[in-house]
Amino acid sequence: MNARLARIASSLAVIAVLLTAWELAVGHGLLKAYQFPPPSKIARGFVELSLTGFPTGVSLWTHTGVTIWRVLQGYVAAILLAVPLGLLIGALSVLDKLSAPLIVFCRSVATLSLLPLVIVWFGAGELTKVVLIGYGCFWTMLSNVIAGVRYVDPTLVRAARSFGLQGPELYREVVLPAALPRIFAGARMALGVGFMVIVGAEMIGTIQGLGALIMEARTFYRSEITIVGMLVIGLLGFLISSGLAGLERQLMPWTGNLDQVRR
Amino acid sequence: MSCAGNVSMREPDATPRAVRFGRPLFIRIDAVHKAFAARDGGAVTVLDSIDLDIAENEFVSLIGRSGCGKTTLLNIIAGLDAATSGRIAIGDRPVTGPGQGQGVVFQQHALFPWLTALGNVSFGFRKAGLPREERRERSLELLRLVGLEAAANKYPREMSGGMQQRVSIARALALDPQILLMDEPFGALDELTRIELQQELLRIWQARRKTVVFVTHSIDEALMLSDRIVLLAPNPGRIQRVFVVPMPRPRSRAEPAFNALYEEIRSELSS
Amino acid sequence: MSGRALRGNDLTLGVIGTLAVILLWEAAVRTGLVSPSVFPSPSLAISAAAERLTVRQLGENLSWSLLRVFSGFALGALAGVVVGILAGWYRRFGLVVSPLVELLRPIPPLAWIPLAIIWFGLGEPSKFFIIFLGAFFPVVTAAYQGMRGVDPMLLRAGQTMGLSGVPLLLRVAIPAAAPDLATGLRIGWGLSFGVLVAAELIAADRGLGYMIIAERNAGGSVGVIIVGILLIGVLNLLTDAVIGAATRHWVGRWHGS
Repeated sequence: MNARLARIASSLAVIAVLLTAWELAVGHGLLKAYQFPPPSKIARGFVELSLTGFPTGVSLWTHTGVTIWRVLQGYVAAILLAVPLGLLIGALSVLDKLSAPLIVFCRSVATLSLLPLVIVWFGAGELTKVVLIGYGCFWTMLSNVIAGVRYVDPTLVRAARSFGLQGPELYREVVLPAALPRIFAGARMALGVGFMVIVGAEMIGTIQGLGALIMEARTFYRSEITIVGMLVIGLLGFLISSGLAGLERQLMPWTGNLDQVRR
Repeated sequence: MSCAGNVSMREPDATPRAVRFGRPLFIRIDAVHKAFAARDGGAVTVLDSIDLDIAENEFVSLIGRSGCGKTTLLNIIAGLDAATSGRIAIGDRPVTGPGQGQGVVFQQHALFPWLTALGNVSFGFRKAGLPREERRERSLELLRLVGLEAAANKYPREMSGGMQQRVSIARALALDPQILLMDEPFGALDELTRIELQQELLRIWQARRKTVVFVTHSIDEALMLSDRIVLLAPNPGRIQRVFVVPMPRPRSRAEPAFNALYEEIRSELSS
Repeated sequence: MSGRALRGNDLTLGVIGTLAVILLWEAAVRTGLVSPSVFPSPSLAISAAAERLTVRQLGENLSWSLLRVFSGFALGALAGVVVGILAGWYRRFGLVVSPLVELLRPIPPLAWIPLAIIWFGLGEPSKFFIIFLGAFFPVVTAAYQGMRGVDPMLLRAGQTMGLSGVPLLLRVAIPAAAPDLATGLRIGWGLSFGVLVAAELIAADRGLGYMIIAERNAGGSVGVIIVGILLIGVLNLLTDAVIGAATRHWVGRWHGS
């Protein structure tokens, strides 16, 4: 416990030193305030963004809410589609083999490269962004659900068979629970992907949302607002992934460290 | 790795070098003490005033229950750990670190997974600064000695536990060490492999004439291999008793002398 | 997981599945189920692309994209490896570097675009920087974890053979961390690639990403857009396969129990 506290303390110290040095450097003209807005300016920007908003009237919380809402829609849609489909494909080895190259390919397509195409189909509105996020999340989730089901420890399956379980019952009682850790890992990865996609997607042709915020701010030379936006994006990403990790631990206390799960 | 802090303040030893079995003393362990700082501020004594002298070419086993400090003592001789106080010397020189002629064989083979058997053994020859061809030759020779010439190009993950330990021994021998320190090297193996490797080890020891310090928790194993058996007691770790094993080799478990000694050691252990 | 060899019929089934989908796609457009101006069939898309683009144009955009991603990745991965290894081996350095990296890591590379433009302007350097970041973070994390996870027994073994300090680092610690490093590099590449495309969409005047969005802005053929997208997907797959093969050769041979 002591060691952990010491680490946190030293991390905070390093950051504090850095911020102070930064502030001083700008104060003495060593760094340009436009390119490296000092922490004090960033803090003021944060306050302005929270209260008045940028552009005026659109506060930080509105931007954040819009971004989260878009991600949520795309994400939930993707999960709702990917889980049943993945479970089905995973259950039938033939389906898995038929679809494998296709799934790998679709996953390799850079989601954002679809933006122009999706705009052609659905215009430049909300639906486009949701569809894009959905696409990115879907393939990641699908791959992981399938992998979770197919790569269950054969020893477990053999043990279950020795108890007389087979077919759908075997699938339900043993395969599914054993696949849960991988499925959750997939959910976490998919959310990460969705998050990355939205940030990019919002940089083209929108004025609301965190991605749009940081681009707009730059156009108006408000570099400190851009940085506030970036930090909020980072914080959001961090909260989401630790939140999910915590949720996993709650729901599946029997698993170990899942950060090592590889695709 | 730096050596211990407090060295004993006794007078330098003025007596002529003691001899045992007509051979000069090789490893001298003098009042060695090892303690760790405990979480609550106190000290945990792992080894308390260990005095032990080992002659050249002697085969000594350290046995005892868990927690008696036998592995710690081995690590100190190996220079991987430092004693809190006391002196320890190999030949004339105090032990200040590893790489002073101590070859170590660990229980978990600790072979480098990215090298083949040949590669691992050659690694031991690195220090000798030999040309490539000669390194290869010598490594093959050692692999032949442990009976693994055919597996020279296999990676550790392709070998069984017994094979891995044999490569481990070959690698330790590549250093041409004066002392071979072995920490329960056969502990993780099955019975049959273990017996086989014990005989191999004796053969190598007799062929190469090294001093061996061997940690085990098997009385049987210690009796098969050693000239002397040092019984350590735990909490704190100290020498409880030293047994001399006078039986000529090869030894047989059927011999009455063997069993008598076995019983004696066993009862001493459980007291 | 890695033990499964690719059997003949696995491959055939895969090919059948893919062909089936392509044929369905083609059929859907031919029979009029799907309008060709919205979602052209593969044959239409390719012919449209052949009409609108010259090979030279395609080649030029392709080269620019590849150049960017290779150079950005190379430098980002190199920086990541060096920083990660040093941070993992030298505790003090790690204590200073680790909080900074952890703080910046959750920020997606694309979110750095406006800042990159502020720092480097609208030209090549800003795109290079974003791709650099895309490679840097996964690699530095993997290198750091790899170093911290080195089996202490291996280090002890190295010490008994007279190694310490830098030679111990180079000859024992780094090879031991190689599997984790390899994974990090593979993930970093995938990320760099994805970032490349996005960066080119958002702010570039050359490259595959640019090609796609320029076509859309000019109100041109959907076929070109689709071909561009597919090309990017194929490139990603190919390059990932190459990395996978290289990893299996250099690391897969000896890794695993």
